[in-house]
Amino acid sequence: MFDRIPLPRLAALTSGAVLSMAAAAASAQEGQHKAILSLGVIDWVVVALYFVAIIGIGLYLRGFTKTGEDFFMGGRKNSSWVAGLAFLSANLGALEILGWTGGTMKYGMFVSHWYWLGAIPAMLFLGLYMMPFYYSSKIHSVPGYLKLRYDERTRLLNAISFAVMTLLMSGINLYLMALVFNVLLGWDWHVSMWVSAAAIGCYITLGGLMSAIFTEIVQFFLIWAGLFLVTILGVVELGGPAEVFANLPDKMTTLWQTTGAASSNDMGVTWLGLVMGLGFVLSFGYWTTDFLVVQRAFSSKDLRSARLTPITASFFKMALPFIVVGAGLVAFQLTRRADMGFELLPHPSTGEAWYDSALPMLIARYYPHGLVGLGITALLAGFMAGQAGNVSAFNTVWTYDIYKAVINRKASDAHLVWVGRVTTVVGILLSVATAYVAMQFNTIMDYIQAIFSWVNAPLFATMLLGMFWKRTTSAGAFWGLIAGMLVSFGIYMGFKFNLFGPTVATILTLAEHPSDMTRNLWQATWGWIVCFGGTILVSLFTVPKPDSELVGLVKGLTVEEDGSVKVAWYGRPAFWAAVSLAVLIVLNILFW
Amino acid sequence: MNNEGKQPLPIWFFVGVILFVYGILVIVGQAMDPGGQALKSLKPGFIWGPVMIVFGVIFTAIGLVAHKRQG
Repeated sequence: MFDRIPLPRLAALTSGAVLSMAAAAASAQEGQHKAILSLGVIDWVVVALYFVAIIGIGLYLRGFTKTGEDFFMGGRKNSSWVAGLAFLSANLGALEILGWTGGTMKYGMFVSHWYWLGAIPAMLFLGLYMMPFYYSSKIHSVPGYLKLRYDERTRLLNAISFAVMTLLMSGINLYLMALVFNVLLGWDWHVSMWVSAAAIGCYITLGGLMSAIFTEIVQFFLIWAGLFLVTILGVVELGGPAEVFANLPDKMTTLWQTTGAASSNDMGVTWLGLVMGLGFVLSFGYWTTDFLVVQRAFSSKDLRSARLTPITASFFKMALPFIVVGAGLVAFQLTRRADMGFELLPHPSTGEAWYDSALPMLIARYYPHGLVGLGITALLAGFMAGQAGNVSAFNTVWTYDIYKAVINRKASDAHLVWVGRVTTVVGILLSVATAYVAMQFNTIMDYIQAIFSWVNAPLFATMLLGMFWKRTTSAGAFWGLIAGMLVSFGIYMGFKFNLFGPTVATILTLAEHPSDMTRNLWQATWGWIVCFGGTILVSLFTVPKPDSELVGLVKGLTVEEDGSVKVAWYGRPAFWAAVSLAVLIVLNILFW
Repeated sequence: MNNEGKQPLPIWFFVGVILFVYGILVIVGQAMDPGGQALKSLKPGFIWGPVMIVFGVIFTAIGLVAHKRQG
């Protein structure tokens, strides 16, 4: 769980499910397990209908996908509701749900930090302050902004690192999906991987980003329809919400009270590590610069909708603990009461209680046929939509930031759409290949997940300086980014191979014997600090671009015309951001 | 298929249809289920299925109305 996992693509994989699942993989591959759930005919119909629906949607949207704007940007016609739900769903994966439900059994309400502190401030900042620069410049990708603001080499550096990271993450996602369904249902690994990969490849190739967005929104509703009932039934069986919270250890019911010292909470982090590492560097690094999620906002019909996209998503993000944490607390209470007859599965390799099995065990406990199929379909959709998100972001970055920028600068729009479709198929095949590599070498996942904090945490410093300090130079951005990535990578490797003594560890993490979670938070923080400082330093000794080249890209040189001033106060992004922030503060006070 | 100038049906339409069909299947599944779960007396499929159907109808209607307005 948490104590074993580096921070990867923030929420989707920080849950700890990944390595926990990976550790189970060897045993699972040898068939040393029994399937938890069995599907009836009606459940199979539910699962099959999902595949029919998503491929049908892809076929339908094919007729509306003619241009590059259609294929890569969803036509830029979406409302903030559509883009906002897709923005959220691109991050909402099945692994996150399984992992954090299990994580709640160990850490209680603490898990909510990943949904609140670790998401909401960054999403609001993106909507209020960064989106005008992204959207107004009509770029196709985040690396595209780096080209306009800095230069080609910085764009290429980010494009290549993002493309590699995305493909590897896509492969891991595919592998773990096959693993989960093998463990839960006894499905064949190879069939799971190839069938889901083929379906994803089919509907993304047909409808591009719009297909991905449609299926992500379908996934959002399936997750609520298929999994929220588990929490409701658990609360009913336990006798109501008060009984769920009754007799919980104090540290499981609080968000902040145990963060004064790392030793006071099971996660081993302090409030400073949480605020700096999770709340600032990792959260902002992920939500404001990761093209996988930001691409959904780019599909909005106008700037006001684009700004509202992450703000709209923030409300739904704050609601997710009602599924995840709620189910985790129910499972925790059920295991404490002998009369309930509820046990987690033993971990296939260690034999200890396997927290990631909590949600499937609750489904098995409460759901009749039909609902079992719906719950499984919700998890399946969670895996597949995440996969599709990776592939659609990869094909855009490859096509615009690598192919068009380096290989074929004069490519026509129609040719780029063709390249995007071919890239989708190639990306899917590379994901499958990565999945097979991960299947053979489980330890490789440890490295792959860490890539996020090497790539995105420093990138946030580059973006922040680029958007808010016009003195930032192209050389500063490039060398600062490289320095930040190397430092983050170096700290990761240093801890991994025990190269740091207690003194260095204390300097780096404020703890003599830091937990892996603490290391990960500080590793990202140091990467950000070095990138931030290095960029400023180099910028002070190099020549900045003239103001005329930075109009629309830097604060103070931007004419912000998003139409917000023309709409009523209740339609403005700032109003809804304030409401979202108020809800966040209330939630933190309630569970302080 | 030539969709020049046309807008695709909104996603809400598809969400509605899926929720509606799944709501029916959940009810059918509950009816066919042999039981054995905790809280089986509640028959959750008979409650959740209709809830999904209602939401399905609402979203389908929203999608169709929005599509009509798009022209």
